[in-house]
Amino acid sequence: MKHVFFLDGQEIPFIPGQNVLEAAIAAGKDQQIPYFCFHPALGSLGACRQCAVKIYAHDSKHPPRITMACLLPASDALQLATLEDDVHTEHREIIELLMTNHPLDCPVCDEGGQCHLQDMTVQTGHSVRHYSGPKRTYRNQDLGPLVYQEMNRCITCYRCVRFYQDAAQGEDFGVFGSRNRVSFGRLEDGPLESPFSGNLVEVCPTGVFTDKVFRHDYVRVWDLQQGPSVCPHCAVGCNTTPGARLGTLRRIRNRIRPEINGHFLCDRGRYAFPYVTANSRPLQPRLMGETTRQDAVLRQLASRLEEGRSGFLGSPREDLQSNLGLFALADCLHAPFAAVTSSWAEALAQQCLALPQAPSLQEVAAADRIVVIGDLDSIAPMAGFAVRQALRQGAALTVLASSRTELAQKGDYRPLRPSALRDQVAQLADDPCLQGGRFPVLLATAETLGPSGLYALRKTLEKLPANARAGAFVNRPNLFGAAYFAADGHTERLQQALRQRKINHLLCLGADPLGEDWGAGTWRTLAPGLDGLTLLDMVDSETARSAETLIPVAAFPERAGLFVNYEGRIQAFSPVYRREAQVLHSAVHGSGFPEAAGGVKHPLGPPPPLFWLGRLAEMLHLHEAWQKRLDFYLHFLCPERPDPEGPGVLLPDTIRARFEIAAVPAARAVTPEQWELDIFRWYGGETLADMADELHSLAPARGLRVHPNVQAAAATLHGPCGELRLPVIACAEMVQGVIAIDQEGFAELGLYPGDPVEVSWEQRQ
Amino acid sequence: MSSPTSTVDLKDASLLARLQDLVAASPVPEAAISEVLQVLQKARGYIDEEALRLAASLTGLSPVKVEELCTFYSLVLREPVGTHVLRICDSIACHMAGAQDILTQARQHSGVDLGEVSRSGKLTVIPHVCIGLCDRAPALMVDDQALGPVDTQTLTRLLAQLEADIWKPS
Repeated sequence: MKHVFFLDGQEIPFIPGQNVLEAAIAAGKDQQIPYFCFHPALGSLGACRQCAVKIYAHDSKHPPRITMACLLPASDALQLATLEDDVHTEHREIIELLMTNHPLDCPVCDEGGQCHLQDMTVQTGHSVRHYSGPKRTYRNQDLGPLVYQEMNRCITCYRCVRFYQDAAQGEDFGVFGSRNRVSFGRLEDGPLESPFSGNLVEVCPTGVFTDKVFRHDYVRVWDLQQGPSVCPHCAVGCNTTPGARLGTLRRIRNRIRPEINGHFLCDRGRYAFPYVTANSRPLQPRLMGETTRQDAVLRQLASRLEEGRSGFLGSPREDLQSNLGLFALADCLHAPFAAVTSSWAEALAQQCLALPQAPSLQEVAAADRIVVIGDLDSIAPMAGFAVRQALRQGAALTVLASSRTELAQKGDYRPLRPSALRDQVAQLADDPCLQGGRFPVLLATAETLGPSGLYALRKTLEKLPANARAGAFVNRPNLFGAAYFAADGHTERLQQALRQRKINHLLCLGADPLGEDWGAGTWRTLAPGLDGLTLLDMVDSETARSAETLIPVAAFPERAGLFVNYEGRIQAFSPVYRREAQVLHSAVHGSGFPEAAGGVKHPLGPPPPLFWLGRLAEMLHLHEAWQKRLDFYLHFLCPERPDPEGPGVLLPDTIRARFEIAAVPAARAVTPEQWELDIFRWYGGETLADMADELHSLAPARGLRVHPNVQAAAATLHGPCGELRLPVIACAEMVQGVIAIDQEGFAELGLYPGDPVEVSWEQRQ
Repeated sequence: MSSPTSTVDLKDASLLARLQDLVAASPVPEAAISEVLQVLQKARGYIDEEALRLAASLTGLSPVKVEELCTFYSLVLREPVGTHVLRICDSIACHMAGAQDILTQARQHSGVDLGEVSRSGKLTVIPHVCIGLCDRAPALMVDDQALGPVDTQTLTRLLAQLEADIWKPS
C-alpha cells in the first residue's frame, strides 16, 4: 500500500516510520522546509526549531498549529502547509535568532558555497539583523592537523557531538557549557582521536569545522571539478567525490552509498589523498635514475620483453583492468605471472575469495551478534564504524584479538595469542556469543587470522545458521580482483623461475617487493639474480628507488578503473580531472604569440597503466591478442560493466567456488614459551596514505609493542631473511608473549603474523 | 553547596571509601556523578583536573563527559574560589528587579573580575542562573544560604560581615 501525506496540497509519499521532514527531503521538497539539526544518518533532535510546518487537524475542534516536521511522524492523509505567512514568519524569525551571533565572514569562510546555513538563510529570506549588541565570541581550539575549528560560527545544532559521541562513539569530543555559551570541542587542545573525525567537516551545517588539509590549497567549491570515485585505501571501497582544480587534487568528500559507507568516510579515506600531490611522486619515466622520454623507455622495455626472460608481478593495490592487462601481456608472452608477492599472501587471497558472500556494511549495522577477529578499526575503519552502528541497536559484540583495541572495550574481549585465534574461530559455532541471535556476523582482519584461520572461519560458517555471514578485510582495495585469475602456486613459480635463472627481468605493477610487501625478505635475497626491474607505480617506494626503469602512472582519481571490494562488489570509478599545470610565462612555449587569458594548460599527468601496457603490446606486435585476452578476462568477471554512479555488481558465488578447493598452508606451530608475532597497524596507515604528510603526522611511533612486564629498552628480532632492531614500546593492552610489529618489520624478517620469533632483549641501562 | 577552598588529598582513604560507597549505592555507576562531584568539591574547594579524572574513573564516564556536566551545572566550580562564594541571580525576574546593580556593587567591592578570588581571599562573586527565588527578587546565595530581596544597603552589610568573617547563615 502506498502511503502519502499532503504538503501544501501536494502528495508526499513516505515509508511508515519516517518523519515528515525525512519524507519531504526524500521527495525533493527541502526547498519548502528549512532545517539544521536533522541529519539523515543522525536522526531528529528538535533543537534548532527551524523545520516548522502547519498542521491542519481533521476536525473542527483543533485549530491549525505550527509544529516541527522532524518530530512529526508521517501518517496517512496528514494535511500540512508551509506556504502561509505565519510559517514563513516562523522560519525567518528562527533563522534570525540562530544568526544572532553568527559572524558575517562568509567571504573568508571555507564553508562558503557549500554552507547549509548560508543556503537556508537565503532561502528563508532573512537579510537584516535586528540585534545590534556585541556578539558572543570564543577561543578556538587546535584540533590537530585535519580539522579546523572556528567556534564563533556555531548555531548549536548538536550534529557534531551526535556524530562524534553517538555514531562514531568517540570519547574525546563533547559539548560544554549551557545557555548561549555552549561550545563544542575537546577537553584540551590536541588532535582528535577518532578515526572518523573528518566527518565533522561534513556534518557541520556551517563553518565551525572545516577541512584543514583542503585549507592549505583552497579554492571555492564551485570551482572544483568533481566526479564519482572509489576510495583506494582499503578493501571496503567507500564511495568518494574527489575535488580538483587547475590540474591538482584538493580534497576528498563522501559520496552517499547506503550499502557501504552511507554518509560517512574514515580519516584515511578523506585525508590520504595528498599522495597524489606529494613531491616524491614520480611523474616522468626514469631509466637508470635519469629522466627520459616515454618512447625511449617503451623501446627499451619492449626489447627487454622480446628477450623472453621477463616475469610479471601484479598488485592488490592496483585496479582490476591494470592487473588483467598485465596478466594478458604475460599470457601473450607465455611469461610467469604472480598477482601477489608471497605464497602466504596468495593463500590469504584465495581463502578470502573462497568465503561465501560477505555482508555489506549496511547489513553489518543490522546484525545482532557480532564477532570481530583482530584490530578491525586499523585495517578497515568503516567496517568498525558499521559495528558501532550495530552496537547502538543493541548487538552483542565479542572481540578476539591480541590487544585490547578500542572496539574490544565496547564488547566482550577475549585476549588471545594469534596462534590461538584459529582454534578459537574453529569452535565459534558452539560458542554462546553467537547463540540466540537473529543475524550473526563474523568480521576478520585477514592478515591477523592468516590463511588457515580463514579456512577455519569458513568451516565454522558452514555450521552456523544459513543466514550467518562472514567478511575478511585487508588494507588493499583490490585483493579479490588481483588474485582471481592467478593460478595456484603462481608466486612460488615466479620466484622459482628467478632462482633457476629462467627469468632475469621483472615487470612490476604497483608492487613493492623490495620494500614493505609480504615476502619482501625473500625478494631481496632473489634481487641479485635480477638483471633489471621495471616498475609501474604512482608512489616513491623502496622498489621504485632501486628499479632500473620506473614508469609513472596516473593516480586513481586521474583515471577510470574497477576495484573488487571485500564483498566481491565490482565498483567503477571515473577520471575526475587531468593532472596539469597552468603555465603563465610565454617564454615556456617561446612562440611569441599572445597567450590565452590565465595562461595555457600544460599536461603533466602520466598515463594510466593500461595505456603503457597497450603501447607495449603494440610495439611487440601483440596488440590484437592482448586486447582479446583482456576483454575475455574482464567479461568473465563482470559481463555487465558497473556504472560509477551505481552500487556496483557482485561477483556471483558460483565463479568463486573454485577457490574452495585451494590448498591451505599449515600454520607454523608455536609453543607457549615462544614469542609470537602479531601485526600492528593504525587507522591512517597504508602505502599511499603514508605519503600524506598531515595524516601521517598522527602516526604512532615505530617499535615493538609488548606487554609492560617486559623490562627492556630495545630488542632484536631474528627472522629467516634478516634481523630487526627496534625500541620496545610497553603497551598495557597487549597480551603477554606477543610482539606486535608493522608490515615493514614482517617484510624485513621474512615472517608472517602468528609466526614464532627469536628475540634478543636489551636491558635498560 | 559551599566551597571554601580546602586541600583534602584525593588519595585520602576515607574520601575514597565515601566516593566508592556513593557509586556502589547508585543503580548504574554513571548515575552517581553529581554526588561524586559534590563530595569532591566539598573536599577540594573546586573540581581540579585531578578530581575530574578521579570522578571519571570512579563512574566509568570519559573525562569529556564529566567536563560536559561540570560546565553545564553552574554550581560546579572548575576554578579556585574565595572563602565565601556570592552567587547573584541574573535571570529575568531578578534582572528586572535590579540584579545588575547588585552585581556591579559586589564586583566593585571584590576589586576583581567576576569569578575571581578577591585580594583578601575572602570572596568570589559569580553571576548565576535562576535560583528559584523570583518572589524575593533580586536574590542571591551566600555559600549554601539563599537571601532576598537584597538592596544596596543589605549587600553592603553582608559584604562587610563576609570580610570580617562574622557572617553566619541563618
